[in-house]
Amino acid sequence: MSWGARIASWTQAMLGRSQMESEMDAELRFHMEAYADDLVREGVPRQEAMRRARLEFGGLDRAKEECREARGVTFVERLLQDVRYGLRTLAKAPGFTAVAILTLALGIGANTAIFSVVYAVLLKPLPFANPEQLVSVFEANPQEGVPVTAFSYMNLEEMREQNHVFSEMAGNQSHDLTLTGQGDPSTVHTAVVTPELFSLLETQPLAGRTFFPEDGKKGAAPVVIVSENLWRSTLGADPKIIGNAINLDKRAFTVIGIMPAGFHFPLLRQSPDIWIPLVQDPLFGGWMARRGGHWLPVTGRLKPGVTVAQAQAEMDTIGRRLATEFPAENTGWVIRVEPLQKEIVGDVKPALLVLLGAVGLVLLIACANIANLLLMRATSRTKEMAVRIALGAGRARIVRQLLTESAVLGLLGGVAGILLAAWGVQGLGALLPADLPQVHAIRVDGWVLGFALLLSLGASFIFGLAPALFAADSNVQASLKEGGGRAGEGGGRQRARSFLAVAEIALAMVLLVAAGLLVRSFVTLTSVSPGFNVQHILKAEVSLPQFQYSTPEQWNAFTNELLGRIQADPGLRDSAVGVPLPLMSNGFINLGFDIPGNPPASAGTNRTADYAAVSPEYFRVMEIPLLRGRTFTQEDIMSAARVTVISQAMARLYFPNQDPLGKRLVFGFPPDGGNISREIVGIVDDVRDVTLNKDPGAMMYVPYAQAPFWGAVVVVKTTLSPSSVAATIRQEVRKIDKDLPVTDVETMEGIVDASVAQPRFRTLLLGLFGAMALVLAASGIFGVISYGVSCRTHEIGIRIALGATPGKVLWLILGESAKLLLLGLAFGIPAALGLGRFLSNLLFGVRPADPVTFVGVATLLTLVAVAASYAPTRRAMRVDPMTALRYE
Amino acid sequence: MDKQLDLLQGTLDMLILKAASLGPLHGYGILLRIQQISKDRLEIQQGSLYPALYRLEHQGWITSEWGESENKRRAKYYRLTAAGKRRLQTETENWKRMANVIAGILQTSPEEV
Repeated sequence: MSWGARIASWTQAMLGRSQMESEMDAELRFHMEAYADDLVREGVPRQEAMRRARLEFGGLDRAKEECREARGVTFVERLLQDVRYGLRTLAKAPGFTAVAILTLALGIGANTAIFSVVYAVLLKPLPFANPEQLVSVFEANPQEGVPVTAFSYMNLEEMREQNHVFSEMAGNQSHDLTLTGQGDPSTVHTAVVTPELFSLLETQPLAGRTFFPEDGKKGAAPVVIVSENLWRSTLGADPKIIGNAINLDKRAFTVIGIMPAGFHFPLLRQSPDIWIPLVQDPLFGGWMARRGGHWLPVTGRLKPGVTVAQAQAEMDTIGRRLATEFPAENTGWVIRVEPLQKEIVGDVKPALLVLLGAVGLVLLIACANIANLLLMRATSRTKEMAVRIALGAGRARIVRQLLTESAVLGLLGGVAGILLAAWGVQGLGALLPADLPQVHAIRVDGWVLGFALLLSLGASFIFGLAPALFAADSNVQASLKEGGGRAGEGGGRQRARSFLAVAEIALAMVLLVAAGLLVRSFVTLTSVSPGFNVQHILKAEVSLPQFQYSTPEQWNAFTNELLGRIQADPGLRDSAVGVPLPLMSNGFINLGFDIPGNPPASAGTNRTADYAAVSPEYFRVMEIPLLRGRTFTQEDIMSAARVTVISQAMARLYFPNQDPLGKRLVFGFPPDGGNISREIVGIVDDVRDVTLNKDPGAMMYVPYAQAPFWGAVVVVKTTLSPSSVAATIRQEVRKIDKDLPVTDVETMEGIVDASVAQPRFRTLLLGLFGAMALVLAASGIFGVISYGVSCRTHEIGIRIALGATPGKVLWLILGESAKLLLLGLAFGIPAALGLGRFLSNLLFGVRPADPVTFVGVATLLTLVAVAASYAPTRRAMRVDPMTALRYE
Repeated sequence: MDKQLDLLQGTLDMLILKAASLGPLHGYGILLRIQQISKDRLEIQQGSLYPALYRLEHQGWITSEWGESENKRRAKYYRLTAAGKRRLQTETENWKRMANVIAGILQTSPEEV
């Protein structure tokens, strides 16, 4: 029979199902009546004839079933039948159904929500054409322990020209520029790129064009591409903007194109507002002609068919050539190639996988709970099953029907879970750390829905299989003989239920230990002293347009005047300037240095220190204690002797058994112009400037007046409200220059908070999952103990009648839960110890085998087990022997 | 009456095809015809007849339509299709060959081996 005919027969059978049924009935009835007629003709009385006709025909229902089967549509038909039956039975037990669906909805909802994050961040292809061809190219210096850094523009040019593996390479940096002439001056987040970036990403603008190679040449007219968001919010969505100019850092840039809102590059952090050619950038543009330096991150597109390994091999060759041709800048540096997606995801991967694993455990516990409920239900349905088996239903048929019932339950739970997840993902949005990549891609989409669906079916199988197998094993004889609805249950089933409760306790133990470890880490992390005052400190940034403020003298003059004006306000007397501030999300500055007179750093050591330029009041305002020597004064200006203050860690690391005071350091940051010898005049206490979870490293400070920036970060110690401080600073800035925006007004507490956003996110979620696991495990224990008591009412009655005291009964029941608990802990503790390995790099100040956490969690579970057994135990102690013995 | 024989596995289909090839019949009629031709020597479980009919119809060897029976009742009549005719032919030939072979084997005497 052809497929077409088969499908036609199926469809016809499906559509005409009821018609076929009635025709079959009519046909079989006709047969029996015709046979009875013949018997009557032979002289048998009609009633007897009908009886014999029925008898000789044999099992009518079985014949019908075989006919349906012969028609070849039974699978779908049976499925529908089972689904209908499943829905009916679920509707008949609304309490059970509600609890099961709610449990599943929580489990599947949490999994779906976390999966939507994992999918968007780790799995979803990057939103560009042929994303697998995109790679990140970076430089590393294994000898000096520099793992990842960027290129100089000249090195990028060398690579672009010499390689045969990339169809395109482009560099990009970020910078903030000041947009004026469109209402209040504002800061626009600017991507500073080489023109090839857009052709590399193969993206089309919403309107206008992207950069041509000529736009990147020296002397080209300034052009800018704006984002759809900026175009709508600030530029009034004016389509005529293309071809017209906007003012950036007080310079006219012609708008040539608008990028659609869905386009984000670079993908990290906040999406850029505008893109300008590198050559036009007031800061980085000036660095293009320098061969040294590592400031331009590079993205490449592999030619079709070229692998990452091949590209790596070619870059190795080019790297060696560069080191030979330009040894001064390139000795010791190697080029690395890595898939862009991998590079972007970076270090969030382990945390996300731990969360996904944790939420999977929650679902497993939920499944164990539902399996337990189903087992109890199966016991009360023993008679139903026995009748079905007696009527000829095969074992496979019963298992299939019960599994279908589970699947119906699972899908209902799944639908509820998806709704929960859609809602949860929105809530998650507020929680997500800002530095999580691809955040804008997180949503419940087709893939996530598919995952939820698969998860629901998988879960139904997990929780449905064992109960279904047990049910199909019913002993027909025994079950039918037993009169009551509650037939005795086999030891196997009891063991299965106990096993499930034990598994729940063990899984909950694992989850709670993980949650406990993260919570303890987080508490330790946030109680770590960063080494500076966090309270009542406020910061605000002013960035100076470099076309107008182009010399260090101008920067100094501006900052001095601003600081003077702010300090004149009585509420803001304690203010200072520092660039960069510690723990800021946009990073820190790490510089190499030399100690004249000391031997040069041996290969393999990384002689670098973090760097900050600060005004004299900085140490007082930030409350960083001076340990020896002096801090900066108003006399440490450009024309005076160059000085530096170092941190204690630096003194310890680089001047062991020496007095650093009076020694000299040679270093410099570009705006300050290269390597300058400075005398160490003071030692201050350490500061955690990079992240809270890293021990403070070496740090060197220079006077802002001797190393000014094209902008200032003002810190103020004040008890005034942030908004009033911001207003005062804005007012003072405007008095100096009405076109300067004041941006990023934040409290220090907020900055410290933001610096622990990722640990907070994972701790909060894992804590939530731990709580869910605890509740589920508690209800699992309650279910098993409580059911055990009701099964043993008779036995308990006899015991009491024979003189057992309530105390004896109490221990009888508590002994049951103690057994479950101890077994659960016996499996849970080693599992939790094993899991600690996966967590170890997410922990801070806590060992994976932290005894406090383990003892705490075990105690918590014990308390929960006792609490869950409380109600059933009371019930057992109150058993009235007379009632119990009469029962059944 | 001779002793009744249980139907050999798989032969019911063939008998139904044969019965239907003699003219359209309803299910009960097919049963009667087989019994009549076999002179009541074959025992057919009434209940097993209909699954076989449904199977043969599903395979496209017989087709059915509703008609009126001898005693003016609605009955479903089965008729052989062209494919069914060919099927009956090959089945018959196969059966004959098989019967010959089996008979040959059973008649073999020790000397012939």
